[in-house]
Formats: sequence, C-alpha cells, structure tokens
Amino acid sequence: MKKNEPNWLMVLRTVMPLGLSYIPIGLACGVLLHAAGFNHLLTALISVMVFSGGAQFLIASMLTINAPMTTIILMMFFLELRYALLGSSLSRYLKGQPLPFIFAFAFSMNDENYAVNYLKFATDKHWQPKQALLVEHYSLLFWTVSNIIGSLIGSALTINLSVVDFALTALFIYMAIMQTKSRLTILVCALSGVLTISFLVWMKSTLGLVVATLLASFAGYFVERHLLAHKPESHLLYTIHDPTRPLDEEADK
Amino acid sequence: MSSMSSMDHFWLVIFCAIVAFIPRFFPLLFFTKRKIPEWFNEWMRFVPVSLFTALVVKSVFIDSKYQIMTSGNLGMIISAILVGVIAYRTRSMTLSVVVGLVSVMIFVLVLHI
Repeated sequence: MKKNEPNWLMVLRTVMPLGLSYIPIGLACGVLLHAAGFNHLLTALISVMVFSGGAQFLIASMLTINAPMTTIILMMFFLELRYALLGSSLSRYLKGQPLPFIFAFAFSMNDENYAVNYLKFATDKHWQPKQALLVEHYSLLFWTVSNIIGSLIGSALTINLSVVDFALTALFIYMAIMQTKSRLTILVCALSGVLTISFLVWMKSTLGLVVATLLASFAGYFVERHLLAHKPESHLLYTIHDPTRPLDEEADK
Repeated sequence: MSSMSSMDHFWLVIFCAIVAFIPRFFPLLFFTKRKIPEWFNEWMRFVPVSLFTALVVKSVFIDSKYQIMTSGNLGMIISAILVGVIAYRTRSMTLSVVVGLVSVMIFVLVLHI
C-alpha cells in the first residue's frame, strides 16, 4: 500500500471490485423496475432507501405479477430479516459509536458492503468505522447511478431474467467461498443447502431461508464447540488453504 | 405492467424502506451498547456462510412456486460450480461475477439448458 495515499482513494480502491460488479446488476435492476412501472425518480428513491439487490429484484418481479402491496411488504420483511444477523455480527467493531453513526451505518448496510467491511474488520486492524461507512456510501453511489441509468435505458433493452438474476447468485457464491475458513464450514454449507430446499418447499415462503440459516449456523456452532472440547485434533477443524497466499504466510496468522 | 399508480409505488418504497431498516438498525444498536456474549460471536462465524449458501441454493434449485426445479437449471448448476472454482482460485469478486454471467448466458441463451 502507498503511504501517502489519501483515505478516500484507499477506501475507493477497496470498494472498487464491488462497485464494478454493481454496474451490470444495477443496470439490470433499473431496467426491471422500469418494466414494473417505476419512474426514474422512484427507481432512484428505492435504490437509496432500500438498497438491496435481492429486495429490488423481488419487488420488480412481484409488481409484474400484480401481487398486492401487503404481500410484497410481508415478503420484504422476511427477506430483510437476515440483516438482523449481519448487523449483529458487525456490531463488535462499531462499539462506542454515537447513535447518528449507527443510524447512518444501518441505513446503508447491505449484503455486499457488509461482506467487504466484515472482511476488512476481520483482517485489517487499522480499519475504522468511518471508513466502513464510506464503503457503504461508495457502494450506494455505484448502485443508485447504475439503477437510474438502467431505468433510463428502460425498454430499449430486452434482458433475460434468469441470466440477470445469476449476477446476484455469483456474488453470493463468491461471498460464501470467502467465508469458508475450516472444513467444518463446508459441512455447514452442505447442511444449509439441504435445509434450505426442505424448508422452502415445506413452508412455501422465504421464511424457509431464515429457518435454514438459523439451524445450519447453530449446528455449526454446537459441532465446533463439541469438537474443541472433546476432539481438538479433529480434521473438521483444519483450516482451508487460501490459494492466493503462500502456506507459510497463513501459518503466521 | 402493474396496475398501481406512482403514488402507490411511492408508499410501497416507503414501507419497504421501513421494513428493511428495522432489522438493520435495532440489532446493531443493541449489541454496540451491550457486551456480546462469547457464544454469540462463535455462532455468528457460521451465520453469513449459511445465509449465502441458502440464497444460492434457493436461486439455483427452487422455482418461484417453491418447488424443486427438475429441469432448465443445469446451465445454472454448472455455472455455479464454475463460479465457486473461480472464486476459490482467484479471490476476485469481479472475475467471479463476470465469469458467472458469461457462463450462464452461454448455457441458457445459446445452449438452452
């Protein structure tokens, strides 16, 4: 890292991969919202106020099938419930921050900038809450501008829904891989996958996602606690090798 | 096209924003004021990965009627595996997303699987 690099530039460099990957997703989301009957102003408003790719895609697709407003809001509630888990997992890095800061931070937090900030807080001792908030605002800027441009392009483009949706899926795969620290995590992923399919089919609601997440994560927690107490040599606790780093560097951590 | 007016859409955005804000704000506020119990931290190490997997599995294997997709998602499955390999080897978010998009585009739009 360059020593005299200004803070805003350093943070911008951190957020750049996320910002760039927001452009195609944001464009597509803007196009979809336009198709669902949103004008440019409303698209800008929802991008700032809701700021969630998954939520905005869901709103667009539910509006096109003429779902009633109450159903859409209820779906939103279950979809956004996951932020309770994300928020509380970041809270230990935001201790002592004033209420307006917590308010602003919560307002612009979403899956992707959470992942960037969580990774930064976990790996960089000098990462500050203010820089984390700047990450959120940069990503918000990328997202909103892409959405507005997408809305302007509007009907001029025909986009295949399943292809566009996959941008978000690829993003989640990337984030899951980055979070995979031990062999046990792989087991938790597999369990989460099986539980997700079971509960979604059984409950017929996105609430199944919440239930599967809770059960899989608790299972991971209890198995890890049991192994640490009774079988600390278990191969499930082995760390996963990061292929972009040499092995000896990882041993130092 | 939706039958709602722009005013309806405006209120929809406001309500969705409130619903989105509540779970982002209150847990964050609660745990920055109080000491987080150790078990909570340990548990939280497994939450994001479980959630991301759940979201991926939902979009790849479950259709909009909450049934298991039995056809039409082979291209997505192969693309998802490809993205996983790229993400693990390169640790690059942009590369993962771009490769995923191109791959699914080829499978769905060109090969129709």
